[in-house]
Amino acid sequence: MLVLRDLQKQYTKFRLGYLWTLLEPLGMSIVLWFVFSVLLGARALGLQPYLLFLSVAILPWWWFTKGIAASTRVFRRAGGQLRISLLPTEIWVLRVLIVSMIEFLFSLPVIVVAMIVTRTWPGPLIVLFPVAVALQFVLMYGLSLLISAGCVVIPDLARIVRIVLRALFYLSPVLYSISNIPEAVRGLAALNPLVGVLGLYRIGFWPEEIEDAYGYAVSIGLSIVILAIGMIVFRRTEPRILKEA
Amino acid sequence: MARQKLTPGLDALLAFDKAGVRMPRRRRRKGDGRRQRLRRIAGEVKRDEVWRLRHATFSVEEGESVAIVGGRGSGREALLRLAAGTLVPDEGTVRRRLGVVPMIDVARSFVRQYTVRQNIYLVGGLLGMSPEAVTESLGEVVTFAGVESILDKYLGTTPPVIRQRLAWATAMSTNARAYAIEQVLIVGERDFRQQCWTRVDRMREDGVTFLLASDSPKQFRRFCDRAILLDEGHVVAQTTVPDAIARLRALRRADRPSPDEPDDSASGPTGDDQ
Repeated sequence: MLVLRDLQKQYTKFRLGYLWTLLEPLGMSIVLWFVFSVLLGARALGLQPYLLFLSVAILPWWWFTKGIAASTRVFRRAGGQLRISLLPTEIWVLRVLIVSMIEFLFSLPVIVVAMIVTRTWPGPLIVLFPVAVALQFVLMYGLSLLISAGCVVIPDLARIVRIVLRALFYLSPVLYSISNIPEAVRGLAALNPLVGVLGLYRIGFWPEEIEDAYGYAVSIGLSIVILAIGMIVFRRTEPRILKEA
Repeated sequence: MARQKLTPGLDALLAFDKAGVRMPRRRRRKGDGRRQRLRRIAGEVKRDEVWRLRHATFSVEEGESVAIVGGRGSGREALLRLAAGTLVPDEGTVRRRLGVVPMIDVARSFVRQYTVRQNIYLVGGLLGMSPEAVTESLGEVVTFAGVESILDKYLGTTPPVIRQRLAWATAMSTNARAYAIEQVLIVGERDFRQQCWTRVDRMREDGVTFLLASDSPKQFRRFCDRAILLDEGHVVAQTTVPDAIARLRALRRADRPSPDEPDDSASGPTGDDQ
């Protein structure tokens, strides 16, 4: 309950820029679509229509980057508030996560726009979309706990995270489809928990996309493991976090 | 919620048992950030932690008002934060029977981009109130702080005095049975201060417990039943208020001849970090 109110406060800043939440990913999708589909004519990359293919994955990806990047500085920004806060410390992490998720949900009309432009409509498997959101939430919560706590102990971690995020963008099937990866390394690539998450987002549009359950199993398993580790680590570091305030 | 866990069977309201806490040293010594970092790499300055409080053992009964007497860096804030549970002890234990509300520089937690109303909700929430509880006490807070006219204005434009009043009013509206108050909160106009102290007096009669840290002996004398004297993170004595004040003066005088050790004398013993 308290989180929501906390969030509501945070949110007043965003409302003005709501239009931007829409325009930013839309613009991004168009640019990438233009580069990869029109300029490079890479027909083999991803699935058709490419514009929709991109935007369905780019929105969750943005949520992921923003949430994780924000979690590197939660406690630096909390400052004095931590000194009087009687709320569980996890709330600070949860809050940035929810803020970024709401931004994501508000940017969903971009997919609708892409659907209209490309005249492609989702199949019945679109019901898995909320599942994908939930899975990503669990995964991100675990990671955020881990990273926010880690950044307090090792300040340099924030920079490492930024680089890793960059790398992860290309390592995850955002621009391409998992089927573009050579068979040999596909198993290795599927170890990335985002593979399953992004797959779940896309499955509604391309039911033929991923038939094997391997990627999903890895995603779900890893998300839970990361969440467990995150919670333990966070508990352990909590005294340190409080001291930084 | 582990850090504010309550111990219902506790005979006192608050019990410190050999509690201590290490804090990272915050104050810079010499030079700018880059120079600091170079020194650290060179091993000249260790990124070390300081015991802000050590082996503190005392207890507070319900309805008492206790003065936390000590100079800057004596561990007052650490003690208050431990009492409220916004800090976890590194050694020993801190147990409490009831929730303690931390009134430690509350005004710093306000967010300038929020309106006054939003800030009341924010800080009320931080202090553990539910949204409904804040709504209920909103009117009271607003009158007490005298912010009726600017309730929906952004806080960034209001003078610091108003912020202090707001902080005080919000914290008081939590209706808790125990408070840990830091001196910074006790500023503002004389009228308002008077109003606050009347309120505190009334609450004391009701059996509300206060831990008060301040620089003002006057406030101690007026409001506190007894005192805990802190020096360099150690509980030196638990005595009456006048005695503690006198002894603090004596300590200060003893410190003065050695001003060339910059922060060390004030921030606690070093070198014994594990």
